[in-house]
Amino acid sequence: MAKDLDFEPSAPKTIKKSTGTKIFEAVAYLLLAAGSIICVLPFIIIVSGSFTDNSTILTQGYSLLPKNFTFSAYETIFRSPKDILQAYKMTIYYTVVGTGLGLLMITLTGYVISRKEFKYRNTVSFLIYFTSIFGGGMIPWYLMYANVLQLKGSTLAIWFPALMSPFLVILMRTFIVGAVPDAITESAKIDGAGHFTIFFKIVLPVLKPGLATVGLFLALGYWNDWYRSSMFSTNSSTWQLQFYLYDLLNATTAMKQMASNVSMKTADLPTESVKLAMAVVATGPVLLVYPFVQRFFVSGITVGAVKG
Amino acid sequence: MRNKKISGISAMILILFLPFFNWIKVVNLVALFSKIGVTKEMAKDLLTGYNLYNLFSFIRYANQGVLGLFAMVLLLLSFAAIYFNAAFIIRSFIGGKEGKENLSYLAAGKFAFLFSFLTAFATIAFVIFSNVKFKMIGFLPGVVVYLQLAIGLSAYIYIKIVEKKEREKYKEHGLLGEIKKNWVLFVMLIPTFIYFLINNYLPMLGVYFAFTSFNFRDGLWSSPFIGFKNFEFLIKADLFRLTRNTILYNVVFIGIGNVLQIVFAILVSRVTHKWFKKTSQTLMFMPYFVSFVILKVIVYNVFEYQYGLINNIMTGMGGQRIDFYNTPSYWPLFITFFYLWKNIGYGMVVYLATIMGIDNEIYEAARVDGAGDLQQIWYITLPHIKPTFIILLLYALGSIMKGQFELFYQLVGNNGVLFNVTDIFDTYVYRITMTQPLSIGLGTAAGLYQSLFGFLIIVLVNFVVKKRNPDYALF
Repeated sequence: MAKDLDFEPSAPKTIKKSTGTKIFEAVAYLLLAAGSIICVLPFIIIVSGSFTDNSTILTQGYSLLPKNFTFSAYETIFRSPKDILQAYKMTIYYTVVGTGLGLLMITLTGYVISRKEFKYRNTVSFLIYFTSIFGGGMIPWYLMYANVLQLKGSTLAIWFPALMSPFLVILMRTFIVGAVPDAITESAKIDGAGHFTIFFKIVLPVLKPGLATVGLFLALGYWNDWYRSSMFSTNSSTWQLQFYLYDLLNATTAMKQMASNVSMKTADLPTESVKLAMAVVATGPVLLVYPFVQRFFVSGITVGAVKG
Repeated sequence: MRNKKISGISAMILILFLPFFNWIKVVNLVALFSKIGVTKEMAKDLLTGYNLYNLFSFIRYANQGVLGLFAMVLLLLSFAAIYFNAAFIIRSFIGGKEGKENLSYLAAGKFAFLFSFLTAFATIAFVIFSNVKFKMIGFLPGVVVYLQLAIGLSAYIYIKIVEKKEREKYKEHGLLGEIKKNWVLFVMLIPTFIYFLINNYLPMLGVYFAFTSFNFRDGLWSSPFIGFKNFEFLIKADLFRLTRNTILYNVVFIGIGNVLQIVFAILVSRVTHKWFKKTSQTLMFMPYFVSFVILKVIVYNVFEYQYGLINNIMTGMGGQRIDFYNTPSYWPLFITFFYLWKNIGYGMVVYLATIMGIDNEIYEAARVDGAGDLQQIWYITLPHIKPTFIILLLYALGSIMKGQFELFYQLVGNNGVLFNVTDIFDTYVYRITMTQPLSIGLGTAAGLYQSLFGFLIIVLVNFVVKKRNPDYALF
């Protein structure tokens, strides 16, 4: 036996790589690099276009690197920043109100349907889940807000519909079940704590990762939304930022059409590079924050996928 | 405790629901018809008594859309009552365990009687509503309605008493007792209740619009009821194209998407440099975070006729410009590409999490046995991510009728040239909502078809899965 043991390789931590492994790794690096580049390339086109002189775009088209570097597009935007600042302001307002209220409602719901002593937790869970598998469709939904509640033009119609989603409620319940063992809440109850005390004093403090994850999902949804503005806004002063950008994109096309019809000077119109600069301004905050909050989304997706 | 006698009441209730009885009688015919504008021509198709199933024929032939929504609620209530009573009878005869399960048996009975009572009650309310609407006594409830009301109510009270006794035996409490005990939890749910009521459940009643032909003179609530005309029109015109596009795109998205997500997740997991791992994951996840409007900017930049990157390169190489925005055949490819561009990172994260959960010792052992990388992936990694794959697949199948609205709308917009290959239910309905208010009946019909068809698929998938492997069941 002892002799046999001597023949065991003294197992270096990293086993020497075979040629096959080396080739495989090279291919892996190559494919991942290619994938990453494809994912980033469009952003580079946008950013470099936004720094390119407009007449260069008009004569030579878009390119990967700015050919005639200039800040003029950004200068144009910030020369009369009233509209964009308004859109920014409204988007921040929707995001803060929607995320705050939504997070509170989702967390309360998650807490209730994770309580074992709550007899109807399965019924409530199912009623929430059911909304994701059956619905009345877009038109009844739209008419509910626009005609029945008469909310067309109000800011409420823009933030209210996205406060909650079945996915986020179930995700929050999973976080709560994982973060707060039953024994702790049970002992708190024996000590005479009510549900609100347990919720605010015991559950919320240990729920920070869950709150961050669900909150960021909500905030991202609000920041990137344009759809509810397109349906419910009657006045450009309530537009979401993304819808402002959307409108600008379409308006330029329309205006260019108009300009060629009436032979107006193209210099007077919002130009190609301005559109790109607007896109950068609208997406900038998300991409700046993204590297720091990415892990919360990863944890959310992971938890959500495991538990469904 | 299975009480066959109580189920006799349910049988009686079901008999009263048979279509031979008149639930609503039309009286004072001449006065009524002149008041609501029914001509002799129209009166030919009208009856003097209706049950809940053919009530719609009155609404249709007398052109009284104002009663339609209420009639639909009546019909739904009667369906619920019939379903619960039939289920109760079946439960009474199929023996279950004695003990606490008796309570759920009694609750089933309670539901059955409650709904038959509610149906009768709503029928009387309907009669009153229409009489008030027409400012005269034109309708009366039939005898059967009073009978149903009395039976439903007394049976409900009876079963309530039985239930109370039974509850005391097991020291259980009902809804009221639960509210008394945990009222704080109910208070916590109030905002959620209001939200889902407004955002999801009340709009479900709006499927009624699918059976009407909207016009501005009569308004939303009293436009003519036209039965299944909208659906007939839809089948003739767009239904096949919309169904085909919605399902085909989703099948392609699910298939290619999952394969690429798995491939990239495996590649990331096998790369040794930590920074490379992190960077590539971060970069590939990034597109998920930008709005679809940005996608529109990108697509426009790349494919635009005059300034677009591709046409720029084409002319640079001496080639011809391609008019992408007027050539439908390119777009399925573009849409699929940008769907993948935006969603690869998300699915990659899911699969990567599963791969990271695999015990490293299994790989070590395989390596010692001389397994190469591909063998390790084939025999270890892939079997381990199979459950994740199946769960994701089932979810995707469940929502196969749901389109990626934002993706399609931002890429294609209102470019009618491309609709044949790019129109899905969601874009079709959105266009109607925003630009063709006169077609909202048609749009609602399309939405209802999409919703129901999708729902049936989910129930079917779930049923099959539950039979084969309950662990994967969706609900």
